[in-house]
Formats: sequence, structure tokens, C-alpha cells
Amino acid sequence: MRTACLAGAVAIVLTAAACSSGGGSSSSTSTSAGATSSSSASPVSTGAAKAGGSITVLEGKGFSGDWPLGLDPATNTTGSADQDYYNAVFGQLFELGTNGKQIPDLATGYKYSNGNKTVTIDLRPNVKFSDGSALTASVVAWNWTRDLESSCTCAPSWTIARANAKVTTSAPAAGVIKVLGPLTIEVNLTAPNGAFINTMYDTIPNWIISEQSFKSMGETAFAKLPVGAGPFIMTSDSFSNEITMKKNPTYWDQPLPYLDGITFKSVSGDEAAYEAMLAGEGQVYIDMSTPQLLTEAAQKFNVITQLGTSPYDLQLNTAVPPFNNPRAREAIYAMTDFGPILQHIFKNAYPTAEGFTGPGGICYQQNVPGYQGYNPTLAKQLVAASGLDKSVIQFGTISSSPVAAETVQALSQEWAVFGVKTSQHSYNLNALIAAFLASGGKSWQAMIQTAGAYDPAGGVGVGFRFGSLSPFSGVHDPKLDSMLAAAAASSSLSARCPIYNQAAEYIAKNYYGPFYFSFAPANVAVKGVAGPGLTSALPAVAVAPAVLWEDVYNNPATS
Amino acid sequence: MALAQQVQLQRDPGARADLVRRVTGSPALRLVGRRLLTAIPVLLGVTLLTFVVMNLIPGNPARLILGINATPGQIAQVDHQLGLDHPFWDRYWIWLDGLLHGDLGIAYSNRQSVNSDLAQFLPTTCWLLLYALVVSLGLGIGVAMLAARKPNGLADRLSLAVSMLGLSVAPYVLALVLIWVFAVKIQWFPAISNSLGSNPLTAIRALTLPAASIGFPLFAIYSRLLRADIVEQMQREDYIVTAKAKGLKPWRVLVVHATRNSMFTLITLVALNLGTLIGAVAIIEPIFSLPGIGAELISAININDLPLVEGIVVVFALVTVAGNLIADLMYAVLDPRIRYGRSAS
Repeated sequence: MRTACLAGAVAIVLTAAACSSGGGSSSSTSTSAGATSSSSASPVSTGAAKAGGSITVLEGKGFSGDWPLGLDPATNTTGSADQDYYNAVFGQLFELGTNGKQIPDLATGYKYSNGNKTVTIDLRPNVKFSDGSALTASVVAWNWTRDLESSCTCAPSWTIARANAKVTTSAPAAGVIKVLGPLTIEVNLTAPNGAFINTMYDTIPNWIISEQSFKSMGETAFAKLPVGAGPFIMTSDSFSNEITMKKNPTYWDQPLPYLDGITFKSVSGDEAAYEAMLAGEGQVYIDMSTPQLLTEAAQKFNVITQLGTSPYDLQLNTAVPPFNNPRAREAIYAMTDFGPILQHIFKNAYPTAEGFTGPGGICYQQNVPGYQGYNPTLAKQLVAASGLDKSVIQFGTISSSPVAAETVQALSQEWAVFGVKTSQHSYNLNALIAAFLASGGKSWQAMIQTAGAYDPAGGVGVGFRFGSLSPFSGVHDPKLDSMLAAAAASSSLSARCPIYNQAAEYIAKNYYGPFYFSFAPANVAVKGVAGPGLTSALPAVAVAPAVLWEDVYNNPATS
Repeated sequence: MALAQQVQLQRDPGARADLVRRVTGSPALRLVGRRLLTAIPVLLGVTLLTFVVMNLIPGNPARLILGINATPGQIAQVDHQLGLDHPFWDRYWIWLDGLLHGDLGIAYSNRQSVNSDLAQFLPTTCWLLLYALVVSLGLGIGVAMLAARKPNGLADRLSLAVSMLGLSVAPYVLALVLIWVFAVKIQWFPAISNSLGSNPLTAIRALTLPAASIGFPLFAIYSRLLRADIVEQMQREDYIVTAKAKGLKPWRVLVVHATRNSMFTLITLVALNLGTLIGAVAIIEPIFSLPGIGAELISAININDLPLVEGIVVVFALVTVAGNLIADLMYAVLDPRIRYGRSAS
């Protein structure tokens, strides 16, 4: 929408109409933005936007600062952690803007039909990749076929018919992806999915690569310097270290992007990034989460805490002792008082959560009826009755998250008061996956993770942590599965949200796993650098929001 | 070899045999040969231990490469390609065979050859180590001589205080302090350096704070140790008295005689400290975002990238062995009385 937002009063009216159409949080079944505008709730309205200049963006190792395999969306196992680079180079079919507003970017609209089993998407006309080739429906079909054949964790989890039903990475069956016209493409699913467009955010089908460049460069060279139709062109890439980009002169939404160039640098963590910013060596840091640094950074820079969508929860493996016993699970709920932890460790930076939704996502419900809160008297009885004090709980989490590590430590100390002992395990991503999969999923007991997404049906959503089919779930309950499937089937939020609320209550009633707080990292920017996601909050699709780089500008005069 | 000598050798077989005898009988060459032979079991032990430890870490490399959605068939295929379906000893032998042929394998994490990864990351680490070593040694020797010139004098006391500081502060803490002072406050040097650039001055600027973080604790050790040794030489050794009696200037006695003869302990320490020095880069490089093999090692361990870890460990082991060999050779350079393999006269 960017360009239109710059226009006068008439254009503003038109833009408002375009911006409000469709969108993830609406209940409409179709959307169509004008062919000449896309865009966001951009900073343009402040009058401070300025073309030119460049910035250095710092990204933390262990998450967004790693791209060891390069940036081909279909092969990069780091996946959506690298969304900043993807968005800058490829753009997106649909962007997620402020307050969950859907922004048609390379696509202009979509339509559900056939009981939400068919999704038809219209592409923006006259869009060219930076290599000069056209973005067409057949290119998108080639991209999606390749994505669906990928064995990568990042592959889309669409419910489709496969050419070989027994192989999950075999090609889509004939008729699953149909090119209806030069700019119209259709996907046919085997189950209704009214959340299809919402689940595209931050997943690889939303990033379209140039088929022409891929075929001429080859897979390895393409992963090093990928080509897309986004606002920037990648000019150099040192894997997991540094990326430089320059403005795409043929970007469809002229005169955007504002910036002439962006350099992304990988840094060891929050502390290194903060000091680099103080030294003037970085203008933006993505995903700061260290509470003490956030407080300090806010005195010098613009710090915007994003709207969380993925609450931290304690996953309990209901397939093995002690948590195959509902009383042991209830004891965990009753002996946890998260208020003091939130206050003293996280400075009350995040809202408490009792379910899998967050304030940035759809169907947000902070309190869940029937949720068992802190009750020390009950906790003592349950611990004794379940024998929880006679075993040592294997308590794990991912090592790259200081927030998760501090949560594990704090919870262990609280439980120790009730005589419950824990053995804490900190896993890197690979080891964490191995821990979940070992012995057919029966070797782990409790894990601190995030569960949820902008749309619970997408990303690392509720099904990822609580669905029977997910290898990362400790719950195998057909009733919960059918609830979640029913909630995803409809495209109407008025139909979906009550079902998600019921699912949250069902999880609480069965003590499948307590939720603690709705975490979202903060983005830090020097004064003068602004844009959606940097100076205004965006919903975090999974863990972190996708900054709209085309709208980011650097205007030191406003600092 | 001079042309005349070559002609002589061609004409006279006896001269050639004599040369061979002299070369093979050279103490220095015999030392090198012995050290290289000793290095073989050291390298074998280090690589085997690393191989065992990395195999104990949970996680299937094939799944790391393919992703969580990979089918058992795909995983089996990659397992086969990587040789992961072989027994442990077979895998180790295959890796060792590759090493002997100069092929360190393919890194799991980025699917590039480990050789090319090392070629990319090793120069930064080498420059960093060299910088740290040269600065710590240079400053250490200079300060030690200053302090030893007048024991308990102002320079000695001042150097003691500085050395105590260096010995007390961990390199990573020092790194943060240096960043705060020299990058944030007075902005002389960068806080992060994702590349060294092509300009030598830029590279020196980028490496100064990391080298200081690694080198300062070493400087503290070197200066104290050398100072103590020089003081002992100056106070107790007869040759110092003789030198003074000959009327040599005090500085000349200190620098040419006492310091030279005090170098043995320092050289031993430098050689022994190489392992520590290399270990420090694994901590310091990530702090400064330097693209070196220390930072790569940490990343590789985190993602269970066995070939890359093994490749880096081999390099570290080789550097340590080579460092100790150089130290041994320097003993001979400093003291001609030393004849390896023969009884010292």
C-alpha cells in the first residue's frame, strides 16, 4: 500500500479500502486489493519517511543470525528464522501488517471455495524478478511443487493428495496445484482449511524465487545469491556471517524501498549487539530478549516489544510416567506460581497466558475457564498422591533461548519447595529434535517450549505441540485433534474462535500442559530509523514478527 | 645449493654420501623427525577422542541435513552417502583415510568441503593468534626487562599491578570491557567485525581488541615469569659478573646476556600455552563476530557437525605440535651447547 499511502486525500480513501479488505483477522472469504497498491500501516503517515541511506541490521546467532545452507527457502533448514532476508529479497505473496492487517504484496487477493478445500490466488500483474523474468502463476506453481517435495522442516504442511500417498515428500498429485491463468493459481486440499492464507505467513510458499535464475545458476549458487521480486537485491553473502543488499531498481512498488541498501550482520547475542549499536556499528537489532538490556536499551534507542502470539508452555509427555497420570500433571499446574517469576525475572514485560493464543494473534483469550492456578495446599496433596516427589523429572528446553533457560531454572526452584526434583537439560536445536524423537517419542518427560502462532492453525501452532500427528507433541487425544481440525476448517473467525476457546479449556481440563506467559522479543532501532516492526508493533507470526523492510527508512533528522 | 657444490656432488659419489650423512645426522633434522613421529599418535588420539565424543552426542546428521520431514528411506540414503551406516571403526578409518589424502570430508551444516571451510575461516584465526602472540610476547619481554632492571622499583611495582590485573580477568570479561571503552566510548576500534576487509589497516583495527583480549592475560604471565628469571640471572650467575667486570653497559648485560639466557622458560611456556591460546579464540571470536575457526568450532559442535569439528581439531592439534617443535628448535638456536640426541657437553 505504501505508494498509495503517500497520496492525497482521495488516495487515502482508496488505500484505506484496499488495506481493510480481506485479511487474516477478518471473517471474509475473499479479498482483492487494487493492482496498483499494496502496503502497510507505514510510517509514511508521520511525514518523516525519507528515501536514501542504508542501515546495518544485527541478527543473533542461534536463530536469525544463522543461515548455514544459504537462503533457498526450500532447502534452508533454518526456515522462517531467516524471514528478514527472505522478505527483503523475495517479498511476500501476503504480508502481515499492524493489528493483523493483511497486506497483499505479490498477490492481490484470494478466494476460498469448495467448502474451503480450494483456494484461488490472484497475482499482481507486471511484477518482475530482479533478473527480469516475470512473476506468473506457472512460476508460483513451480515454486510450490518444489516446496512440497522438500524434506526440510520448513516444507509446507498442506493437506494435499500426493503422487505417492505413502511418501510425504512425493510430488503433489495431478490437480492439486492448477494454473488457471497467467496470474491465477489454485490449490486443492483434501481437507477444509479456512486458515490457509493465514498459515502462509512466515512459511516458504509465501516466498517466491525466480525459476529462471534458479535453473541458470544451479541450486548451490542460487542459495548463495538468491533472486526474487522483493524490494532488495542480494549482492554478497557470507553464510551465517554477513549479507549485503542493495535497492531493487525494478521493484514493483516504486518509489519503495526507501533505503538504498541493508547490511545484515550476525552477532553472538544481545550483549554484543547492544554494544555494537552503542558504538554506532548497527542501526537495528532484531529479537532482543534479555530483560536487563531491554530496560537499558530503551533509554537510548527505540525499543518496540512485539505483540506475542506464542506463549511459553510446559509440554508434558502424557505417554510415559509420571505424566501419564493426570494427578501428576495437575500437580504441576498447582505448584507453579508464575507471577513472581514474571515480575522478578522478566520485569512484567509479558502478559500471563493460560492458553495457546497471544495478544498479537487471532482468537486471543488470556484467561481460560477452569484453568488450575497456583494452589500450594492442593499441590502438596497431588505431589504425594502421584508420587511426583519420588522421581526426578527430566526437564528440557532449547539452549539458544535465555528466556527459556531462565524459566526452567525458576520453575525447578519453585517445584523444589514441594519436594519435586528435576534434572535440567539444555539442548541445541538438533539435540532437541533428537530428544523428542528418541524411543518413538517416549524418552522425554517435560519440555519448556513456545506453542502458538498468529493463527493457531499455522506455524508452531497448537497442533505442533498438542496434536497427535506432530512428533513434537506429548498429547495424543483424538478429541482434541478433531477440535483443532474443526477450528482450522472454517474461514470465519466467529466460527473458529469459539472452537479454539473450547480446545484451550479442554487442554486445561485434562492438564495437558500449563501455559505461562506470552513472549515476544523486542526490536531495537536507533533514533531516526523507523518502519513497521521497528517503531510500530507487528504480530509475531510464530516467534518474531516480519519487519516490512520496504517501508523502513533512515532519517537522522528525526532522531 | 651453489652451482660449484652441485658439480662437485655429481662428480664425486663420496661427497654425495657425506652430504647425506651430514643431513641425516643433523641434530635439528633428527629432532624434527622425532617430533613428527611423536605427533602421529597425538593426532590419532585427539581425532579418535573427538570422534568418540561427537558420536555420543544425540542427533542424526542425516536428519539435520534433510529436515524433520525426511522419510526413513531418504534418511537411510543420506546415511549411506555419508557412510553413517558403517560401524564406528569403519567410519573412523574412512575419515582417517580421507585425512591422509588431504580430504577432510563434507561439513553437514553447509554441505561444503571442510577444506574450503577451513580455507575461508583459518586466515582470520591465524592473523588473530599471530597478533595476540606477537603483542603479548613483545610487551611481555619489554616490560619484564624494564621491571628486572631495578627489582622493586617503580617500573617493577607498576608491572606487577598490571600483571595481576591481567591474570585476574577472564578474556571474555576483558573483551567486554575493551569494547565498552575502545569501541563504545572513544570509538577507536570496532565492536564487531564480520570481515577483515582487504585493507590491512582495517584488518589491524578489527583484530586489535580481540587480540588484546587474548593477549593481555598471556602478557601478564610472560612478563612476570621472564622478569623473575632475568632477576635471578642478574643476581646469581657468574657470567653476569664477568660481563659487568668487562665493563659492559648495564643495558647490554641485561638485554644481550641475561634476557637471552632467560628465554628458555618463556619459550617453553609459550609452546605449552598454545593450546590455551587456541581455546581462547573459540570464546573471543564470537564476541567480536569474527569469522574465524574458533567461532565455527562452537557452531559446529552445537549442530553436531562431526567432519567440521574434526577438521578444526586437526588444525588445532597440528598448530600445537608445530608450536612445540619450533620451541624445541629455538632452544638449539639460543644455546649452541645443546645437541639433541647427544650428551650435552
